[in-house]
Amino acid sequence: MSDRGSGTSALRTAQLAQVVLPPVVFGVLFFGAWELLVAAFDIKPYFLVPPSDILGRFLDNFDLIWAAMRVSGANALIGLLVGAILGVAMSFVLLRFRVLDEIVTPLSIALNAVPIFVLVAVFNNMFAITSEVPRRLMVTLVVYFVVLVNVARGLRQVDATHVELMKSYAASDWTVLRLVRVPNAIPYFFTALKIAAPLAVITAFVSEYFGGSQNGLGNKITSNLATSKKAEGWAYVGGACLLGLAFYLFAVVLEMVVTPRGAGDRAERGRSGA
Amino acid sequence: MSTTSGAGSNATASAGTAPNAVEIAGLRKVFNANKANAVEALVDVDLTIAPGEFVSLIGPSGCGKSTLLRLIANLLDPTSGTVLVNGKPAAQARQDQDYGMAFQQSGLFEWRSVVRNIELPLELKGWGKAERRARAHEMLELVKLGDFAGHMPWQLSGGMQQRVAIARALAAHPPLLLMDEPFGALDEMTREHMQAELLQICARTSTTVVFVTHSIPEAVYLSNRVVVMSPRPGRITEIIDVDLGSDRDEDTREATEFYGRITAVREALRGIEMGAGPRGIEDR
Repeated sequence: MSDRGSGTSALRTAQLAQVVLPPVVFGVLFFGAWELLVAAFDIKPYFLVPPSDILGRFLDNFDLIWAAMRVSGANALIGLLVGAILGVAMSFVLLRFRVLDEIVTPLSIALNAVPIFVLVAVFNNMFAITSEVPRRLMVTLVVYFVVLVNVARGLRQVDATHVELMKSYAASDWTVLRLVRVPNAIPYFFTALKIAAPLAVITAFVSEYFGGSQNGLGNKITSNLATSKKAEGWAYVGGACLLGLAFYLFAVVLEMVVTPRGAGDRAERGRSGA
Repeated sequence: MSTTSGAGSNATASAGTAPNAVEIAGLRKVFNANKANAVEALVDVDLTIAPGEFVSLIGPSGCGKSTLLRLIANLLDPTSGTVLVNGKPAAQARQDQDYGMAFQQSGLFEWRSVVRNIELPLELKGWGKAERRARAHEMLELVKLGDFAGHMPWQLSGGMQQRVAIARALAAHPPLLLMDEPFGALDEMTREHMQAELLQICARTSTTVVFVTHSIPEAVYLSNRVVVMSPRPGRITEIIDVDLGSDRDEDTREATEFYGRITAVREALRGIEMGAGPRGIEDR
């Protein structure tokens, strides 16, 4: 038994290495090539700064970058949570009222294809100039539609055999919702969340380009680049990357905690098996 | 209350005190009634099934065999006619969960473990946790999957999934089991194995079965009676008795009587095809 245990753990390590190694090698080569290129051709800092410079500035200015990350991150997080809650709530309402569904769903799908974050310019006019509300509202809206479209689909597209089976048990609509539709929608919810989480971060700092307080990552990137502090600007870009990754990881980890057996995998099997 | 044309002697013999498992009279089903695309799915269906009987419904696609099964299950409402299950109107029988059902797709809930899938009908009946867990394990033993209680459905093979579905359908010990091509998606070897197991299970639990199938040997091997149906409009054309005894095993499949019954069903089905075209030309 212990033999088999250590055997599988060795296998795990090998599998892990297989997954982790290629991107790490690629990253090291990429940044190495960048560094060498800048040095070899004596590229001027106003055109391209070497990664070592960026890392230096990132560490030097970490407090400032962290403060900006917290501003943009808070906007993204609040928008993500409110948008997800509203999206889930609305998908239940749509399930209940078919007519509403026929109106809202095509609209939602269409809106998903449009860069609606430009609406933040409109929202900025509605609130005080220093308010974070327009940005949060924008993130909420973007997340809301992604979650709504996916969860509504998950609640509706249930296996026909499951529905017949529940009917044969004389189950009420409420029971079908609780035992069939909601569990069926959970993988759809996490698919939506994995799309929406990084999108929330992107929306949060793109929103900053449309005015308001000069305190977020988006503001800092533009202001530093504009004043020729290229390496600082890049350092903030690095902060933005970290924030986006953190949000995506949050969604992935949440999915693993809630559905330990791999919900996405399960949904695919469910569908192909049917 | 009259028995159907050609009904087996066992259908009427036991009609003492126990109500018939299924009693269908003057059944008619029209889909999209009163519309341009109305389809007459079933007409003039009379059928009585005695407790403990195994009856197969066979016929070409569109003959309404699945529709008939769903009318018995009250998953559909008849346009006219009556369906009694266990002596009650079909709707009442569904409310009381007087039947279990299995489909071509196992229809297992992929987010529930095997044992929790089997518990589901009991859960909906309001059974306590310990009680239903005990019954689910008992059912798993019955379908020889005792070691797989904690597995997730996708970890099982197609045949094993179908066995879980049968265990689930029988979990509440319903007197009637309705099956819609439950082995249709399985390979031939697994299929024959499952047929033998189903017969054993039904004998042990004395369950009445209505079984929809496309396969002539399957219908003959399993059934006391084979109901042959024809399409446009769906109706019963012939009911064939299969007297192969109650102890059917692998040798049954080699028996002369078995082939005789297969030929009888095949000829009944061939008669249908004739009926669709110009009559009686190729009857050699």
